[in-house]
Amino acid sequence: MNGEFREKRKRIRRFSTYRVLEHWGIILTTMILFATGLCQRFWHLDLSQWFILKLGGIDNVRLIHRYTGLLFSLELLSNVLVGILGVLRGRWQPSMFITKKDYEDAIHNIRYYFGFENQPAKCDRYDYMEKFEYWTILVGGILMIMTGVILWLPTLVTRILPGEFIPAAKALHSNEAMLIFLLNAVWHIYNSIFSPEVFPLDTSVFTGYISRERMIREHPLELARMEGVAPEDLEKNVAGETRSLKVGVPAK
Amino acid sequence: MKAGTRIRWILALLLSLLVLPAAAGQARQADESGASRKCLLCHGKKGIVKTFLNEETVEAYVNPEKIRTSVHNFLTCSECHSGFSAESHPSGQYKSRDQYRLRSSSICRRCHSADKIKDKAVHATLLKKEKLGVTPICTNCHNAHSVTAASGGKVFSNEKQYCQSCHQHELSMKFRNEERMSLKVDLAVLDSSAHGKLRCSDCHYGYSSEEHPEKRFRSRREYIIASSESCRRCHFDNYTKTLDSVHYSLLSHGNLKAPVCNDCHGSHQIAHISHGVKGGLITTQRCKRCHPAVYETYAKSVHGNALINEQNQDVPICIDCHTAHDIQNPMTMAYHEKIPQMCGNCHANPAVVGKYGLSTDVLKTYLEDFHGVTLGFYKKEREELYKPARPIAVCNDCHGTHNIVSTVSADPASVKKNLVKRCQKCHLDATEKFPSAWLFHYKPSLSKYPMIFFVNGFYKIFLPIMWAGLILQVLLHIWRYAVNR
Repeated sequence: MNGEFREKRKRIRRFSTYRVLEHWGIILTTMILFATGLCQRFWHLDLSQWFILKLGGIDNVRLIHRYTGLLFSLELLSNVLVGILGVLRGRWQPSMFITKKDYEDAIHNIRYYFGFENQPAKCDRYDYMEKFEYWTILVGGILMIMTGVILWLPTLVTRILPGEFIPAAKALHSNEAMLIFLLNAVWHIYNSIFSPEVFPLDTSVFTGYISRERMIREHPLELARMEGVAPEDLEKNVAGETRSLKVGVPAK
Repeated sequence: MKAGTRIRWILALLLSLLVLPAAAGQARQADESGASRKCLLCHGKKGIVKTFLNEETVEAYVNPEKIRTSVHNFLTCSECHSGFSAESHPSGQYKSRDQYRLRSSSICRRCHSADKIKDKAVHATLLKKEKLGVTPICTNCHNAHSVTAASGGKVFSNEKQYCQSCHQHELSMKFRNEERMSLKVDLAVLDSSAHGKLRCSDCHYGYSSEEHPEKRFRSRREYIIASSESCRRCHFDNYTKTLDSVHYSLLSHGNLKAPVCNDCHGSHQIAHISHGVKGGLITTQRCKRCHPAVYETYAKSVHGNALINEQNQDVPICIDCHTAHDIQNPMTMAYHEKIPQMCGNCHANPAVVGKYGLSTDVLKTYLEDFHGVTLGFYKKEREELYKPARPIAVCNDCHGTHNIVSTVSADPASVKKNLVKRCQKCHLDATEKFPSAWLFHYKPSLSKYPMIFFVNGFYKIFLPIMWAGLILQVLLHIWRYAVNR
């Protein structure tokens, strides 16, 4: 009883302060970008018009959107640079790269959902769903930045590229925005708020800590590596928790 | 004497009683002509001119025919021009033509005394004024030598006829700045005008068979401006609209050249509102009077050319864009913002432009693009946030205003070359590739702008698939969780 209680209370450091702050930055900038961007895409809606006029007019909205986009670009750049540098310096495993196992895990989980498997796939630090979300937002973000620059500086761009790139960039920018928005609205919000496993809120990215119980369920391979046991033995390892010294070290 | 002879004598006597007075009249007229003959030897020919002290002149010519047919044909010259005869020809000096006419009027009044003429309304009004010191001049209305009864001896059946009895003649009105204006009204023109059924006093209120006030204006222009005020009694809606117009604004700032109702509509010849083939042309030519340069430009445009050379009634004329009565200053931002809707009135209407093979998507494609959306917001910001508006490209910024040419027949390369100059008005560093950023009112398709077509097409397929996949994953996850519990 005591052990079980301790296990439930036991928290493992999952994200460093830098990542926590980075996530806050991304939340704020994407919220502003979505608000100021979607009202431009759906400009004919009453709500959009009300919002735009509340912000002092379309010029203000465009200005806010562009400079927030600049901020988002800096965040994206730092995310990529910090990630690459961390991997190069050997501090972290390149845990975000998509591997063959991710496809196998996806198929395994679908089978599990339909009852063909008894256990869900055992995932490492990031499961295939997290990777899918990360890469969609990363690649989408790069696309948004590129097309955003084209739309911000059309006269400069048309010194080199044909004029048709501008309306094409506009089409890409607004369509890709919808894709990222839907991904966030449906997928990310479900996984971090409404999913029965985390409801009412997955706090790990805000506090930096995750419960050991959730680690066993969601990231058993990483936990096993941390504690130096086989993934199958994690349940029994309540007493031997201190075997690993990696607890608290952010690992990416 | 035989009875027959006596009867013959009586008949002759009776006959002579009938004939004699006529013969006597004939003799008198012949006699008068004889007495005047000497005067007419000189004054019956043109060329004698009397000069007054103020350098004004009057021709001392008398048309012998007119004097014979006038009501005064029984008078000799000296009966009016007393002191003049075959023997005596005094040379009187008068300050001005008006002073001479004033003197002459006193001669008329020797026979036509106030008592005798006061029964006529016109005269009664003039006599009232005389008491106040303004002496009427008879010859202003009645000619001097060819004087006829103002009525011409007719009995008036209506007011128009009454007024016409004077105003059919070459009467004129003199303004304080010495300008003159004819008061002759051509009844045929008046009757065929839109106001043919109105009475004179409907417009010239204050005038009737009883009243004929004399009004003095500084100039002909002031008179015209003042008379346009009559129009509002019936056309109050349009009159009120003009109060908001740029023309009225000019007028109220003291520019008397600004047009008033009758400058465009005319006065006695006011036309029926016409949808005939010439209606549009006539209207544009009214505007041309003051705006000739704009008219010349318009005449060369695709619209003007079709109106003038093909009598095309679909093309816009001045008033279609500028309106007729509440004409706004076209240089204002409010006007600028209205332009797409103005052009759209025809160019988004298949009934108008359909038959010329023109696209009716032009307004929609504009309004949904960057400039159109921005325009919509600028308009709202100006109205709701009182934010000073910035100009944004509307139809005429690319197509031109009065000099619009057809883009159908134009060479695309030259259109783009010209367009870059228009783009540079706002996008200062635009290069020759820049105009193709604008889709020229086309909707992207396989043949036109395939790149955009494919981008949109890809997401149209990919987005729903991803959406469905994610929802499915979420549902499966919830289902499995529920089953496990």
